Amino acid sequence: MSVAAVERFRAMGCEVAVAGGDPTAVAAVLERWEDAFSLFRPESELSCVNASPALVVTVSPFFSATLQTALHIASETEGLVDPTIFGRWTEVAVSGRLLSRPPGVALDLNGVVKALAVDEAAETLVGPGFVSVGGDIAVRGPVDVALPAGGAVRVVAGGLATSGTTSRGAHLVDPTTGAPSNSCWEQVTASGRTCLAADVAAKAAFLLGERGPEWLESRGIPGRFVSPEGDVLESACWSRATQEHMTCT
Amino acid sequence: MAGNSRIEQARHSARMAKVWLGALTALVFGVAFVGAKTHAPGHTKGQATPLGAPSSFERAVRSSALQSGQIAPAVQPPAVSSSTS
Repeated sequence: MSVAAVERFRAMGCEVAVAGGDPTAVAAVLERWEDAFSLFRPESELSCVNASPALVVTVSPFFSATLQTALHIASETEGLVDPTIFGRWTEVAVSGRLLSRPPGVALDLNGVVKALAVDEAAETLVGPGFVSVGGDIAVRGPVDVALPAGGAVRVVAGGLATSGTTSRGAHLVDPTTGAPSNSCWEQVTASGRTCLAADVAAKAAFLLGERGPEWLESRGIPGRFVSPEGDVLESACWSRATQEHMTCT
Repeated sequence: MAGNSRIEQARHSARMAKVWLGALTALVFGVAFVGAKTHAPGHTKGQATPLGAPSSFERAVRSSALQSGQIAPAVQPPAVSSSTS
């Protein structure tokens, strides 16, 4: 199946590519997420929450649901993808529209917001196609995607995401140290049922370093690892799906 | 006979007094009970609902978190690339 014409524009600080849908509708979805969660906008709800000295603050239902997703992801990854950056996610509590966190603990939901925005934007597609924001992709129908260090893969369903250090330097923080990650990988690509699942898997596997391939494999998630030297390591599930003409689910 | 009549009257009065006293006690108890249920903060006024996200939301998140998508060998020139952002 061929993909419809690709429209490109910039949003959330990244290049956006859309096929099979209305770019205006996608841009509106992305703007809604950025307006609520950008740390670079002082008027965003996240900036206001972080600036508030109150121990308990009232947040919007949108903010509450997103933070609960982030906390669930932190639990699933045992803190590898952490909305507080420094391993204090267990001290954050959200119930309904009430949010409590210790003094001085700022939230950063970048670990989930972009992927959630991609998944929501993909819901606006009217036909086969995809939404890509900075290389994090959600598809509707099969889409062939170019990979880091060469090669390509067909994403049949769900999403594909890559995490690493190449584009903006070492921007992933290791929650165990609070310092930029010193992973042995340069880029990790993972497949997920959603873009969020793919992005979380790629981030976690990247941060785990040498244990990343085993971590993904134990969960049945296809992963592809690129070393700083350009060597490519594919997980067994990835290899099966892309070399034996089978889909890996 | 007059003595018996006065005794009967006294018994009747005592019975009526007991009935009125019982009714008054029940009324005071009822009012206090309803008042406590309505106003006292420690009393449940309706069905309790659990705190936290709606169960439908949690199910949706848990059903997709950390689950694999579907990939296959590429068969056409790539339409888009996955990279670090």
